[in-house]
Amino acid sequence: MKIQTLSSLNIIAALALAFVIGAVLMWVSGYDPASSYYSMLVTPFSDRVYLLSALAFSAPIVLTGLTFALGLRTGLFNIGAEGQVYMGALGAVIAAYFARSLAALPLALAIGLALAVLWSAVPAVLKMWRGVNEVVSTIMMNWIAYWTVIMAVSTAFANPLQPEESVKTPEVARLTPLIPGTDFTVAVPVAYIVALLMYIFLKYSVWGYRISVSGLNPIAARSYGIKPERAVLAAFALGALTAGLAGVLQVVARPPSYSLMRNLANVYGIGFDGITAAMLGRGHPLGVVLASIFLGVMQEGARHMQIEAGTPFEFVRVVQGLIILLLAVQILRRP
Amino acid sequence: MIDLILMQALLAAVPILLASLGEILMERSGVVNIGLEGLMLLGAFSGPLFVDYLHYRLGAQLPDPLWPLAAFLAAALVGMAVGLVHGYISTYLAGDQIISGVAINLFAAGAVAYGIQAYWGVAGYKQVPDWAKADPLALAAFALVLAGFMWYVLFRSRLGIVIRACGEDPESAFNVGVDVNRVRLLATVIGSSLAALAGAYLSIAYLSVVTKEISAGRGFIALANVVFANWNPALAVAGAYIFGFFDALSYWLQTAGVARYEITRMIPYIATLLIVAGVIGRARPPRAVGKPFRRE
Repeated sequence: MKIQTLSSLNIIAALALAFVIGAVLMWVSGYDPASSYYSMLVTPFSDRVYLLSALAFSAPIVLTGLTFALGLRTGLFNIGAEGQVYMGALGAVIAAYFARSLAALPLALAIGLALAVLWSAVPAVLKMWRGVNEVVSTIMMNWIAYWTVIMAVSTAFANPLQPEESVKTPEVARLTPLIPGTDFTVAVPVAYIVALLMYIFLKYSVWGYRISVSGLNPIAARSYGIKPERAVLAAFALGALTAGLAGVLQVVARPPSYSLMRNLANVYGIGFDGITAAMLGRGHPLGVVLASIFLGVMQEGARHMQIEAGTPFEFVRVVQGLIILLLAVQILRRP
Repeated sequence: MIDLILMQALLAAVPILLASLGEILMERSGVVNIGLEGLMLLGAFSGPLFVDYLHYRLGAQLPDPLWPLAAFLAAALVGMAVGLVHGYISTYLAGDQIISGVAINLFAAGAVAYGIQAYWGVAGYKQVPDWAKADPLALAAFALVLAGFMWYVLFRSRLGIVIRACGEDPESAFNVGVDVNRVRLLATVIGSSLAALAGAYLSIAYLSVVTKEISAGRGFIALANVVFANWNPALAVAGAYIFGFFDALSYWLQTAGVARYEITRMIPYIATLLIVAGVIGRARPPRAVGKPFRRE
């Protein structure tokens, strides 16, 4: 994959330049870049609670980053993680509705992952049978998921006591913070372990090899007796599992609400963050983890930025877009 | 009732048509731009932003029809600027066009959400004042005339042959003296400005509001329409009308109270998936689309 030709020096240059352009934009729109960046990038390191919260932010991004990275490796632009996260979260809510015991936890995983895989099957099948471009189909599936899940949490799975939330995961089935007083739950190590497993899978398993070869050169893959169509299907399904897991964990392992917001606020945008993480991490599972921690710090920092410097939270996504734009320039630079 | 839906379908088709025409121009020249969604968002935001600022600086000194015109101009210029960046990355820097397009979408999503908050101090929703509004029908007429004009240019003029040659066989175009990268850059700049105009239409003519998700997937529906139209501006009119029909139908069913609004809002996306799955077999993209041209 072309992504891998990026040197880390290029990535650092892209980051630096993105922050400089971001500073200019911030200054033009009347905010103070210095104090904003200070609260965005330094404050998260000033306190243990902040740092653990940054790691909590990084966990779902790792998982959606793996979805996109896996797609890249297979030669796909799978932008469907966003919708699959919604479906995973919906699965956890459905489980919480039907099971008021510990059984809600395995049920959440089962339903959430199944829904996410189902969601990815549509673009996968359309791609294989009809040659439909996955960029268009996955975005359409994201929007269909958006309205489906909003409808589900506003009707059948609404919380009668708290109208802005879905039903809550029963207390026994919640994954509560490992360190009291923080957001740091088992979701964080789980996400990192999944990334490690993905790395081992891609590097050492037969299917991992098939996926990589199909992405690098589908014609050569065919001559080795590998069917690229199957690799595409596998990449979609595996990617959906990690994205779905991100959605499930955002409900069962995210204090304080342990539910899905009716406007999807606690799952919105995670799929898009994954694109940035995968690009920054050069499509490498362990690179994705590092990039996600960086993005997690930025997200935690953005909360402080909004409070301390008054700069809107959304500025983080402006910088992310700039970083990817600059990476697009860098990627082409052949040695 | 049915004539009302057909009229609404026309108005809903305009942004999809404008963005599709822009993308057809770009892809015919060999540059793919999946940043249509972001360009629409930026256009929808920058038009009202500019006239708001102008109004604040000048007071009500401009004759009324000039306000929306200024908004469209501002949006087009922003689209051109973004198109220049994307075009430059796609041509002279031989960058990855898909990644650049993804970046435009991400950047725009952040910039518009941030900008609405930064400029108007509201979270993601701003009403467009009456004096800045334009007549959607005027834009519909403009888009239709433009489609005809673009069809003529692409298929009946020398310039069209040059543009299509850059997208089909840049090597040959280069050999007969065409500056492939310059043609592509210009096509991308103009095409991107059309996508931004589509966004300005949404905010100042069609919906009268700026929100952080105003484009709502229309940029990607336009991408689907380009495939549906087989990269032909005339067919893009028909395609945009079909997609517009489902968009209008969803709002009509919503007001008619036939189903919950979440269900009706899904209709355009489901229709897009079905249409694209149904017609893709016969579509043939320009051969060199998405591939940077380097003279060896």
